[in-house]
Amino acid sequence: MHRVLVIIPAHNEAENISAVITELQRDFSTADILVVNDYSTDATREIVAKHHIPCVDNIFNLGYAWSIQTGLKYATAKGYDYAIQFDADGQHIAAEATKLYQTAVKANSDIVIGSRYLEDSGYKCAFFRRLGQKIFSLLIRIFCQKRITDPLSGFQCLNRRVIEKYASFNDYPEFPDANLIIEMLYRGYKVTEAPVKMRQRQAGESMHGGIIAPIKYMVNMFYSIFFVFLQHFGFKRRFKEKLHR
Amino acid sequence: MNNIYFIIIAVILMIYIVHTVRKNKLSVKASFWWLIGSVIILLLSIFPYSINWLAEIFGIAYPPALLLTLAVVFLLFINFQDSRHISEQQAKITELAEQVALLKFEQSRSTTKREPNDKKSRK
Repeated sequence: MHRVLVIIPAHNEAENISAVITELQRDFSTADILVVNDYSTDATREIVAKHHIPCVDNIFNLGYAWSIQTGLKYATAKGYDYAIQFDADGQHIAAEATKLYQTAVKANSDIVIGSRYLEDSGYKCAFFRRLGQKIFSLLIRIFCQKRITDPLSGFQCLNRRVIEKYASFNDYPEFPDANLIIEMLYRGYKVTEAPVKMRQRQAGESMHGGIIAPIKYMVNMFYSIFFVFLQHFGFKRRFKEKLHR
Repeated sequence: MNNIYFIIIAVILMIYIVHTVRKNKLSVKASFWWLIGSVIILLLSIFPYSINWLAEIFGIAYPPALLLTLAVVFLLFINFQDSRHISEQQAKITELAEQVALLKFEQSRSTTKREPNDKKSRK
């Protein structure tokens, strides 16, 4: 039996976190849960404490990506076999997380991405997000010859090897989406997708809102991908890792 | 053909920036504006007369003045961003140091409590 950790980074998610935890405890009872409280100013911490769940508190706002990394460091230290990144805002469904884990075991895959578009799940999202998803999906298909339909999905299941890898990154990207997938593909890790359903956002604010933030995000993403290409085409032999299966 | 030297300088600068990032000495994010700057140097050295054209648009009689102004503004911009990052990091380091101090205090208190038992077990 594998030990599975569900990592929930939460920043001011008092309205949603309770429902997310109870749902996980009901539908995915074999997994342990870790909440990374990213310097919330509301009651998030108290609510998590009521559920008797381990909660790591960041001492200042680290942002989504580095909260995930905090969780992955915890998973490394405690020796978990699989880690699932799970959103605190109620978009991700606990029953679908078990699917990700099962896919990871069955396909012996390093990273399993929960895709909203692999099967028609009826998920509607903002125009920019959809556009970005199309562009990055195309980039991955051209440069890695791999079909990834939802490279912007944060709903992922990582195995021990990837957990350790991410935990030891000293320049873990601020937005770990398509750039990280391309890098891991180039390094020779096995990335697969599993179709999942997602809910629309229930309460609170998205971190990719507004007009300037998406533009910044796109520039950041293209630049990171550009550097991944530079690294890959520069030291092809050294970049690819020897992985034992 | 004087500008060939500037092209070489720009290319060396770009290679150096990318190399530093690869060696993990500079973060990808911090390299962004430097790489943009080196691209601008490269473009200006390939098309040196573009500065005259730009000066004409802005109505500046002496084109090198525009070049120097742009360079100063660009460097000030990078400088300001660095100052901002330093301030942010200063606040974070202070916070970290305070938290570590508190943790160390808690830890030392819990170990001193246990010490009598430890001496017994050693005997």
